[in-house]
Amino acid sequence: LNKQLNSTVCTIMASQPKSMSRAKRWNESVEEAYRFQLAGFRDERDYLTHNPRAPIDRWPVNGFVKKLQRKDGYYYYYNKRRECAEKDVNKCKLYVY
Amino acid sequence: AGALKERPLEKPTAFRKFYERGDFPIALEHDTKGNKIAWKVEIENMDYHHYLPLFFDGLCETTHPYEFFARQGVHDMLEHGGAKILPSIPQLIIPIKNALNTRNVKVVCTTLKVLQHLVVSAEMVGEALVPYYRQILPILNIFKNKNLNSGDKIDYSQQKRENIGDLIHETLQAFEEFGGPDAFINIKYMIPTYESCMQS
Repeated sequence: LNKQLNSTVCTIMASQPKSMSRAKRWNESVEEAYRFQLAGFRDERDYLTHNPRAPIDRWPVNGFVKKLQRKDGYYYYYNKRRECAEKDVNKCKLYVY
Repeated sequence: AGALKERPLEKPTAFRKFYERGDFPIALEHDTKGNKIAWKVEIENMDYHHYLPLFFDGLCETTHPYEFFARQGVHDMLEHGGAKILPSIPQLIIPIKNALNTRNVKVVCTTLKVLQHLVVSAEMVGEALVPYYRQILPILNIFKNKNLNSGDKIDYSQQKRENIGDLIHETLQAFEEFGGPDAFINIKYMIPTYESCMQS
């Protein structure tokens, strides 16, 4: 039982970020973070722990996230083009694991 | 003679009625995420024949929240509808015509942007609109030259994409580009001052 408990603690710890920084300039990873954070998740990893079975829908043209299911079960749809406005760039949090 | 004069709606739109009754599968949120709709169902599984004309009907609205939900709902449905959009085109014409007929500058601008989105939303949609030019284009003809002559001052509507003359020009070019071989002659028939953007 102890071993099992240890392994679950380890997996939980592994899914927790070690550090966080705020975005300064827009780029594709900032756009990615913006889309997940708008839906109430930290990032892709956090999303996949909540919806392990759901594959993430992405735009084939540029790989931006297309659709996310929020924690309350509702859906957010994102456009093909950049959605993170210049004023929202510094609100995006970039996590390191 | 009052051709450019606003003609407000006489009765509330069907969109408003459905919205107030809670018939749309959208969640109402009052937080800071102001530019998104939370859909209760997946858009791909929605009945486009029923919902798309209803959202288009809401384009006439000028008050919050109806105006926002109609505009954003239409854009989301067009962005993610794919092949489901084309069969519902005939049902969209009357709502589009009604919105343009309000002659309210804001409503007309929104509708023009929606039309630009509509022609690129799926294949053959541009062609499918050609038979309906007779109903859509007269208002565009009226407003086509409505442009501000501000001398050398800055016209801020250009930055905000709210300049109706420019938007009409863009829309007609999109119609011609995506409307197939018959598009130009049909546009020219309704708007004689239009010049082609394809033939050089």
